Amino acid sequence: MNDIIESKVLRHRIANIGNLPTVPETLKRLSRIIEKPNVSLTEIAGFVQSDPALTFRILKMVNSAVYGFPGRIASVSHAIMLLGLNVVKGLLLGISVFELMQKAMVGLYEHSMGCAAASRIIAQRKGLREPEEAYVAGLIHDIGKVVMALEFTKSYEAALACAEQENISIGKAEKQFFADNHAVLGGVLSEKWRFPKKLTEAIFYHHQPRSAESFPLETAIVHLADILTKARGLGFSGDQIVPIIDDAAFDRLELTEQDIFEVFRDLEGSIDATQEVLL
Amino acid sequence: MIKVPPDKLMPGMRLAKPIMNKAGMALLGEGTELTDTWITRIQDMELEGAVYVEGKQEMEVPLDEMLAALEKRFQMPEDNRRMEIIKRAAEKHIRSLYE
Repeated sequence: MNDIIESKVLRHRIANIGNLPTVPETLKRLSRIIEKPNVSLTEIAGFVQSDPALTFRILKMVNSAVYGFPGRIASVSHAIMLLGLNVVKGLLLGISVFELMQKAMVGLYEHSMGCAAASRIIAQRKGLREPEEAYVAGLIHDIGKVVMALEFTKSYEAALACAEQENISIGKAEKQFFADNHAVLGGVLSEKWRFPKKLTEAIFYHHQPRSAESFPLETAIVHLADILTKARGLGFSGDQIVPIIDDAAFDRLELTEQDIFEVFRDLEGSIDATQEVLL
Repeated sequence: MIKVPPDKLMPGMRLAKPIMNKAGMALLGEGTELTDTWITRIQDMELEGAVYVEGKQEMEVPLDEMLAALEKRFQMPEDNRRMEIIKRAAEKHIRSLYE
């Protein structure tokens, strides 16, 4: 039997992400800003503008074909006005953890970008008012894995190896080494960063969407998007096999085989756009 | 959509995505047909990455390998109607990339 890392220890590390030595400075600073209650538009814009690389990446992202405004957003404040504070916060996080994701697990970033795009595509099909929120949920749904792999590298590597050898999902393998899985820890982070409950729930329950009480539709979307990204073989998330879809979540979305085929098709178009953003 | 490095651009190609400058502003819009002049200017810009033009990308991995990998990813312990739907849609999509 392995030593299981306790929930208390895991959550303590997460609560102190702003002070962890393994976490890069940009992410620490971002984390400190977005966890403030009532953080203002000006504060966020000021923070981003103080970092030219971050400014460049976020403008590239919001001006890419992935969003509906190609080449039309000139400043960070403009982006926040159009997309909303929560979406911009999420995009900034996605950009800031990109390198960490590559370090934590090769392919995790591609998986996350794929899941983000698929979430947005499904949300649009379902007529959700804010498909960008679904995008953000998809983008950071596996953020728990990043923290686990960074802070508990050996245990996480063991969990990954275990998933591969025993041909089980990474979520199941995590259980043998950690008291909380990546979805729970991602949800805790999302709460800490004061994301709306819609997002936190979608992250927390992306493997068990039937437990989502307030936002079952949003959660079902991220759950399906995650599975479709794995089905298409985009990136790597730690799973060797495509997880079984939750019956209730699948039925809630009422998508036909043709609908799903079209989601794959639209997803394909956004993959290249996604890779551009990373440069 | 095909990804083309700036030095391989040919007149007559049509942009599938806008070309952005470093600040993220579009310099040439989607659908622009490239001329010699545009190509020279694009090459002078020191773009990061490639340019996207209309057309179909040639797939790097052969179809049978893609389908074998798909089979391997879908190891299902029991019959599951919903997973079958997802698998069929994924297979149809992957085949369509090669048509």
